[in-house]
Amino acid sequence: MLSPIEVTLIKALGVGNYSIEEAVRKSGMNRDAILKASYLLQEKGYAEVSTKVIRKYYLTSEGKEYLEKGLPEERLVKLLKEGVKDIGELQKKMGKKEFGIALGWLKKRGVVRIENGKLILLKDPKFEEKEILKAINEGREVEENKLKNLIKRKLVDYDEKKEIYIKINKIPEVELTEYIADLTPEVIKSGSWKDKEFLKYDVRIPSKEIFTAKIHPYERIIRECRKIFLDMGFTEIKGNYIQPAFWNFDALFQPQDHPAREMQDTFYLDKYVDLRDEVEKGFLDKVKETHENGWITGSTGWGGKWDVNKARQLVLRTHTTAITIHYLANNPEPPVKAFCIDRVYRRETIDATHLPEFDQLEGVVLDRNVGFRHLLGLLKEFFAKMGFEDVRFRPGYFPYTEPSVEPEVYVDGLGWVELGGAGVFRKEVTEPLGIKGRVLAWGLGIGRLAMLRLGMKDLRRLYLPDIGWLRAVPVIKR
Amino acid sequence: MPVVTLYWDELERLVGVDRETILSNLPMIGCDVERVEEDHLDVEFFPNRPDLYSVEGVARALRGFLGIETGYKNYKVKSGDWKIIVEESVKDVRPRICGCVVKGLKMSDELIRSLMEVQEDLHWTIGRNRRKMAIGVHDLRVLEFPLRYTTVDGNFSFVPLDFEEEMSIEEILKKHPKGKEYSFIVKDFEKFPIILDSNGEVVSFPPIINANRTRLTEKTTDVFIDVTGFDKNVDRALNIIATMLADRGGVVESVEVIYSNSVEVTPDLSPSKMSVDKEEIVSLLGFEISDGEIISALEKMRYGVNVRDTYFEVLVPPYRADIMHPWDIVEDIAIGYGYDRIKPDYPKTATVGKAHEWNELREIVKEIMIGLGYTEVITFTLTSERVQYEKMRRNKPKPWYYTPVMHPLTEEHTIIRTDLLPKLLEVISVNTHHPLPQKIFEVGDCVVNMKNRLKVASCSTHSKANFAEIRSFVQAFMKELDLNWEVKESEDEAFIEGRRADIIVNGKKIGVFGEIHPEVLENFEIPNPVVGMEVDLTEVFDVGELL
Repeated sequence: MLSPIEVTLIKALGVGNYSIEEAVRKSGMNRDAILKASYLLQEKGYAEVSTKVIRKYYLTSEGKEYLEKGLPEERLVKLLKEGVKDIGELQKKMGKKEFGIALGWLKKRGVVRIENGKLILLKDPKFEEKEILKAINEGREVEENKLKNLIKRKLVDYDEKKEIYIKINKIPEVELTEYIADLTPEVIKSGSWKDKEFLKYDVRIPSKEIFTAKIHPYERIIRECRKIFLDMGFTEIKGNYIQPAFWNFDALFQPQDHPAREMQDTFYLDKYVDLRDEVEKGFLDKVKETHENGWITGSTGWGGKWDVNKARQLVLRTHTTAITIHYLANNPEPPVKAFCIDRVYRRETIDATHLPEFDQLEGVVLDRNVGFRHLLGLLKEFFAKMGFEDVRFRPGYFPYTEPSVEPEVYVDGLGWVELGGAGVFRKEVTEPLGIKGRVLAWGLGIGRLAMLRLGMKDLRRLYLPDIGWLRAVPVIKR
Repeated sequence: MPVVTLYWDELERLVGVDRETILSNLPMIGCDVERVEEDHLDVEFFPNRPDLYSVEGVARALRGFLGIETGYKNYKVKSGDWKIIVEESVKDVRPRICGCVVKGLKMSDELIRSLMEVQEDLHWTIGRNRRKMAIGVHDLRVLEFPLRYTTVDGNFSFVPLDFEEEMSIEEILKKHPKGKEYSFIVKDFEKFPIILDSNGEVVSFPPIINANRTRLTEKTTDVFIDVTGFDKNVDRALNIIATMLADRGGVVESVEVIYSNSVEVTPDLSPSKMSVDKEEIVSLLGFEISDGEIISALEKMRYGVNVRDTYFEVLVPPYRADIMHPWDIVEDIAIGYGYDRIKPDYPKTATVGKAHEWNELREIVKEIMIGLGYTEVITFTLTSERVQYEKMRRNKPKPWYYTPVMHPLTEEHTIIRTDLLPKLLEVISVNTHHPLPQKIFEVGDCVVNMKNRLKVASCSTHSKANFAEIRSFVQAFMKELDLNWEVKESEDEAFIEGRRADIIVNGKKIGVFGEIHPEVLENFEIPNPVVGMEVDLTEVFDVGELL
């Protein structure tokens, strides 16, 4: 019993001897399939598989040169015919090396004799090597034994290639079903497949690896967070990476001598802005008053003098809160729900868990009748949507919120993991900006989330991607 | 944030409960337990609670929280006959001083250790690294009162702590370890603050170093504490130290500080009063809480409470440096009540969500890029002139077209990127060991003229990458963005001449593409041809409001 590929091959070829290329052409099957079929047919006595080494000859650069200007022996004979006989002169004309080659060749064939330092031509030789060089150069077939000498003289060289031949000895007498190898447009058009069977492939054999073009796994987490916020009715906001210290620090009631404001921790720019808009809206004066003496917020303030110049300096924002507070100042009437997921900067030395820039997620709710308990409700809901069912709350501290809270989520294998911070914006923050109502705010670094989700140990990988890693991380959420 | 080391034997003894109870309750008063060892634990307390930077302070808070000893703790100050005369000259350098005397202490290693630790933490936090406030603790026996707080020249000399020979102020600032560490505070001074006793002997050179002769020994029972600085933080720090030593059984005596036109008696360990509105408590917390529960929570947090009709009059302990606003007290009510007892409630605030145009456009561009077989990468926005311009064979633009940051930490991070293409070449250069072809893109923020711009760039690298490939790619990309565009020969030196093109929309250049110049490839150590493109999407699309 022959297998489909054997039948296909033997019917396509018929009795005869074929190179593998011919077999491919005739059968339309691929090389591997032909080989497999041939070996199977050989076992059953229908075919013989043989390997022949084929030599492909070509001229060396020296060979090419001689073909062009003549072989040395040819040139020597020509010189002799022209009457030059003195060995010294001949050597000079031809060069010592070529003269030597030519003399050797001519002497061996008894064409010349040396007499008193002179060469005597005895007969007219035939230069059949020249013809062979010509033939090789033109790609014609040449008898192999004639090439030995030229190969020795390094005028001709060759590449070896193994060629497989399939000889079909006989066709089995039983009825052969015809199989289709490749489903071609012709096959479909003619309908010839209808009375044939399809060649069966070994589907277990893996093919060459290709790679999916995909979204960065970290961006996929960001996309998921955005979707959660949008589903919860939040408006997405966006701001410039470069912000005046006013929005990054002062508007958030960070005292001007706060350690976080030092050059040590923040990337400053050697550039100041006039804060015209902030002056016009009256923000600047009220923030100043609040810092110095609490203004009408009920606070004591920080005391001391508030320096407008410090507020005018530009920084690479250290948190997205610089954007949310600005948005709230522009949209002070409740209800407002807004979120921001974006890049922030800290002047930190890079290691596996600290980066000078990373992405932060932040959400705020501004409303009249909301309080701390509702903030906890938001956090619980948000984390549940992120897949963290167990959330617990501990007291926290942030300069611009009161009360403040540090949420923790339960992660299998790790236990309780702190994930971000939250709180109610202080009155010292909301009142100078005319924000009416209470602001519930929370934020977290997405890097932390990515580490949990992707099982990562080194955050640097996110921002200088290893393509092997990107190819390896599956698209589906784990 | 300061990490405080607490030793189990002291802590257990001072609180009066076992480790388990301490460990499970500590985080609920507000701190992060960093490490638990056999003999001690390291706890990070928040910067607003300097009163918790000593084992005495932690014990006081825990005893309240656990209900062992609740309510306002009264600290007595015995009127003392100790005086500090403040001379006018300190006004320009370090104007404020206050102090107290504490008698009857048992000076154990334990107490010296605790004192040193709390001083360090206070210096760092409310002292802002000694600039705003510095503390000195001295053996009372060697001091002759009244003390004088005055200024001296740089060549004035005395024997500083831990040294045996006299050194001038200037030598101290150059040679003494503490002098070197804190010289930045006084570097511009012509005259230096100094505390002398009535014999003219040095007590301290604030905020740098004490005199060696006033150091504490095991025999010390009575101490004098000075705190110098600028504002009310000086009094806060003194109160924290004085109450801590009072908790150790010390008797606190007051010191008279005599300025040229006023006299202050320090420390003032009486409570300050703050009114907290009842309705505001309920409204800020967001749940019903009875007066009784509020009082109980406040007392657990060591406040004193007087109930009034619509508000509570709260007595704030003198060691609390953080109470600026009634809401600070409301937070403590929540902590005393227990965060774990509050039932979360999702707010009813009804709004409709809306995505930002910027990110919507990013999503669209990503869809096109993925469809064209490109994989997304993300990179740092911090980069360097070298990568952005030099390696790219591009001219360095003028500052504020690009953004140089002050005091960069590394040579690799000196500016914010203006272009994405160099970042992609960096990615390719670190991935040459992975199979080709590699096709990557990034769509993200660049900063030009100090404003964010949304750009997209892509790169394809393999042995046959050529102009035809990138042109087909750009044609397809621009078609999906539905933009009428034309092409002009480009002069961008990052690409090979004759194989580079500017993308023009409405007569304006919005991008460029072509075969990356081999010299650029060499600069990035990329062994294979690369074709790439970059487009500034901000030029042609509405990307929404940027704050």
